[in-house]
Amino acid sequence: MKKALSLLLALVLVIGLAACGGGTDTTTTTAAPADNGETTTAAPEETTTAPSGDKEKINLYAFTDEVPGMIQRYLDFNPEVAEKYELNATIIATTDGAYQPALDQALAGGGADAPDIYCAEAAFILKYSQGDAYQFAMPYEDLGIDVAAKLEEADIAQYTVDIGTNPDGKLVGLGYQATGGAFIYRRSLAEQVWGTDDPAEISKKVGPGWDTFFAAAEEMAAEGISMVSGDGDVWHAVENSSEKGWVVDGKLNLDPNREEFLDIAKTLKDKGFMNETTDWQDPWFADMKGEGPKPVFGFFGPAWLINYVMAGNSGGEAPGEGTYGDWAVAEPPVGFFWGGTWLLANKDTAKAEVVADIIEWVTLDSSEEGLQYMWANGTLNGEGGTKDSVASGTVMAKSNGELDFLGGQNMFDVFIPANAFANGKNLTQYDETINSNWRDQVRAYVAGEKSREDAIATFKQNVADNLDVIVE
Amino acid sequence: MRKSTTFGRVSFKTIAYIILIFLTIVSLLPFIIMLVNSTRSTFEIQQRSLSLLPSTFLMSNFEVLTGKTFDPIVGFINSSIISVSATALTIYFSALTAFGLIAYNWKMRQAFFSVIMAIMMIPAQVTSIGFYQFMYRIGMTNNLLALILPAIAAPAAVFFMRQFMLPTLPMDILDSARIDGAGEFYTFNRIVIPIMKPAMATQGIFSFVASWNNLFLPLILLTSNSKYTMPIMVSLLRGDIYKTEYGAVYLGLSLTVLPLFIVYFSLSKYIIAGVALGGVKG
Amino acid sequence: MRSHKGISYAKYGYIFSIPFLVAFLIFSLYPTIYTAIIGFTDLKGLGKTDFKFLEDPLQNFKLIINNPSFKISLKNTVHIWIMNFIPQIGLALLLTAWFTSRGSKLAGQGFFKVVFYMPNIITAATIAILFNSLFQYPMSPANDLIQRLGIVDEPFNFLVKKNVARYIVAFIQFWQWYGYTMLILISGVLGISPEIYEAAECDGANSVQMFFLVTIPNLKTILLYTLITSMIGGLNMFDIPRLFMMGGPDNATLTTNVFIYNQAFSGSYMYNRASAASMIMFAIIAFFSMIVFFIMRDKDEVAARKSRKQMLKEYKKAMKEAKS
Repeated sequence: MKKALSLLLALVLVIGLAACGGGTDTTTTTAAPADNGETTTAAPEETTTAPSGDKEKINLYAFTDEVPGMIQRYLDFNPEVAEKYELNATIIATTDGAYQPALDQALAGGGADAPDIYCAEAAFILKYSQGDAYQFAMPYEDLGIDVAAKLEEADIAQYTVDIGTNPDGKLVGLGYQATGGAFIYRRSLAEQVWGTDDPAEISKKVGPGWDTFFAAAEEMAAEGISMVSGDGDVWHAVENSSEKGWVVDGKLNLDPNREEFLDIAKTLKDKGFMNETTDWQDPWFADMKGEGPKPVFGFFGPAWLINYVMAGNSGGEAPGEGTYGDWAVAEPPVGFFWGGTWLLANKDTAKAEVVADIIEWVTLDSSEEGLQYMWANGTLNGEGGTKDSVASGTVMAKSNGELDFLGGQNMFDVFIPANAFANGKNLTQYDETINSNWRDQVRAYVAGEKSREDAIATFKQNVADNLDVIVE
Repeated sequence: MRKSTTFGRVSFKTIAYIILIFLTIVSLLPFIIMLVNSTRSTFEIQQRSLSLLPSTFLMSNFEVLTGKTFDPIVGFINSSIISVSATALTIYFSALTAFGLIAYNWKMRQAFFSVIMAIMMIPAQVTSIGFYQFMYRIGMTNNLLALILPAIAAPAAVFFMRQFMLPTLPMDILDSARIDGAGEFYTFNRIVIPIMKPAMATQGIFSFVASWNNLFLPLILLTSNSKYTMPIMVSLLRGDIYKTEYGAVYLGLSLTVLPLFIVYFSLSKYIIAGVALGGVKG
Repeated sequence: MRSHKGISYAKYGYIFSIPFLVAFLIFSLYPTIYTAIIGFTDLKGLGKTDFKFLEDPLQNFKLIINNPSFKISLKNTVHIWIMNFIPQIGLALLLTAWFTSRGSKLAGQGFFKVVFYMPNIITAATIAILFNSLFQYPMSPANDLIQRLGIVDEPFNFLVKKNVARYIVAFIQFWQWYGYTMLILISGVLGISPEIYEAAECDGANSVQMFFLVTIPNLKTILLYTLITSMIGGLNMFDIPRLFMMGGPDNATLTTNVFIYNQAFSGSYMYNRASAASMIMFAIIAFFSMIVFFIMRDKDEVAARKSRKQMLKEYKKAMKEAKS
């Protein structure tokens, strides 16, 4: 009896304490914005006198360990900064939709644990730069970065700037990658059909425009070759060719270019231009190795697709093995980009100076000591790393993008103009949901499960049902 | 006549065993694929995700798994703390509540039992928004207790224990204990708990599995990487669509399932023996 | 004196139930009420914590009830649950009959019992990925199989067929839970008094007759428990439908919980509508559970009253004995 009561008491105490702790938490939260002006100015003095063991934490929210790894390298390169600060990274996967709710709560909650820097993926960056959560992001210029001069010096891909600019016209987010896309094709199949594998020639064969692309697909089909693996491959190009985004002034906008995806996908299937795979599934990967039911001529994608996906799935590690070395990049029929990570700073950060240095180093530094030069040449963590297309045209112009996988082609020759083609003005914060709905309906139409009208009607209904968007 | 029944019996057994063996294969296959995949490289898995042939990438998968910014051992410890505590709380307090429902004749008993049955109908998913907001407000995010303490109220376990206790609880022993001057609480701990062992073991398995595999709530409640659980870490490996490390994911999943196997097999004698549940509803 | 003692014991019933009640009030009831309240407000959008009640308090509920996707999701959920539950309870009963049969004992029962529960151990994410790969187009194990067996010449695109996707989800649910259900049912059978079986044996009943005439009727409470818990679980199906095909193709595997999740987290953050939908689901589940309870209720109540009387009698007897 006494035991039971004491146990209960303990339980109530624990819960009570937790509740009290929460109470103080909320009060500091509400007080935080008012204090901030002072703490920002006071901070540097305090930290210089502080003993080196007492490091300040730079709070970072990210969804992979890529950016945390970069910032860790920054601290390695700058020991004087590392004396004062240490990285406190919170990594939450975007799977199961967990990253955004957690980040949102952390931003809204504020306090000492609020992120100083946070990352956003292409799929949801709009929410943080222009949408519901834009008020949390501090403009780069307020951090003390000379934005205009730096942008010009580094020749940053315009679409990444457009995406990172808030409704007041101020830049709040930039990436380190540029993910402008190319058409990545098989050299041997080009040789077989057209007698040449020269990227400049192939660029003229497959584009510009879908009509040219289909004419080329016709020639490929005649030789028993599929132009692409699945309709998902052309989707990113179609999506980006649209003038406006899915939602304009709160209303659903089905752009004619995006509506045409129905017909493009149907043509791909009916004329045997594709293997009807679904992206990110086994048969799609098998097509990269050339082991599908029909050989596949090419894939649409940015540099990361080559490095992280295609190279590993080519069935070899050196030219001559599998399809390794049998690829090249050409200009796509329609400009597009796919993916990317943007860095944003919290408007309430008390460490504006170091945050500014880090963000500038990652996104705007076009020198050989900047992150992007190392990222483009694959030298961030020592020689021989993966080469990637970066946001700064200046960096890419002086970097070496030659890959054995592409038969020695310098991929940057194609990706620099590709980054310029990409359009960053047609995104909305609803894209992830609306895209998956649209592609689902297109798939049903192409498979002959429903009519074109029904597919469009169901699509509109789904958007109206699941989002706070007006559908006419 | 007799011949035909023996024949019938033999053919029944043949059919029964065919079905049982088929079910065994279907039940075990995913585990085998998971274990095999944890020895294959990401690209081998992307090419053909279902395979029974092991490969040689176990070590490199292990390096990917341990080379991340989070530590699987920390995840293992956190998962263990949560699951062991939650399971212990569930079985102990469910037994206690069930005992309170059966051994005593109190006014609100029937109403309370109805309440428990009603709680079973409240789906956890439904209230997760409210639960998360509440935990955030009282500052219990990043606190393992937020995932442990709710285990005290496990209505399904109470129901199960109650059904078990109905036929097995020897009221006369309780009475004689009372005569000997034993307190009610002492009686419960020393006499009732040992009787409850099979039911507690069975519920222990169920609740340990559920708690260990729980992903959604920990994912949104625990954001500091010193608090991550094993399933969160595995889901982090899948986090980046461009370069999901499937080999390491499967290795992580295999490692995640190992403790479950240990708990499950060490308690499986109770599954084999079975637990007798009373059928009377009250 | 006697009555005094009775009261003093009754209070333990309250005391032993307090921990459960406290934990329930804090961790379950409060969030539930909170969710319910949000359903009447304008709370939507990110990071917002302030909200006000709507002028038409039922607006969110009306919107949800008239939402075509919600109707589809409700139909799907019930459809998938029934397709999973009937074979599941069927197979579980069959296995229960085999493993508890008093006549022909099957060897290796323990092994099978342990193994059949194992699909429940593996996480939903793994299962969803495995099944997705299993049915890919144009090359996948399922396609290999049907072509090798000569059922079709061309590869079959399973995952664009709405019914096929629903069957697969139902099958996964069935496969994950039949072992669990079997274990619960076996527990129920073990609780049936052997005397009843002996009596039936004396009357010359064979094992099939015994199963239907003795086991099933005596298993009613446990069957009720299985039915209710499975119904609650089934109407709350979330992991597999979401991870398998995000509710697709063409909304074929969109369940109510996936719908609720989409309302709250897929771009518009309509917490108020999600909460309203949650409460509607709670009402639906409660309603069906009541019906099931009501159907199974009458006879049990009588038995219960009897047993209560019996207990009282025994208690009095014990008291008497204690006194003497």
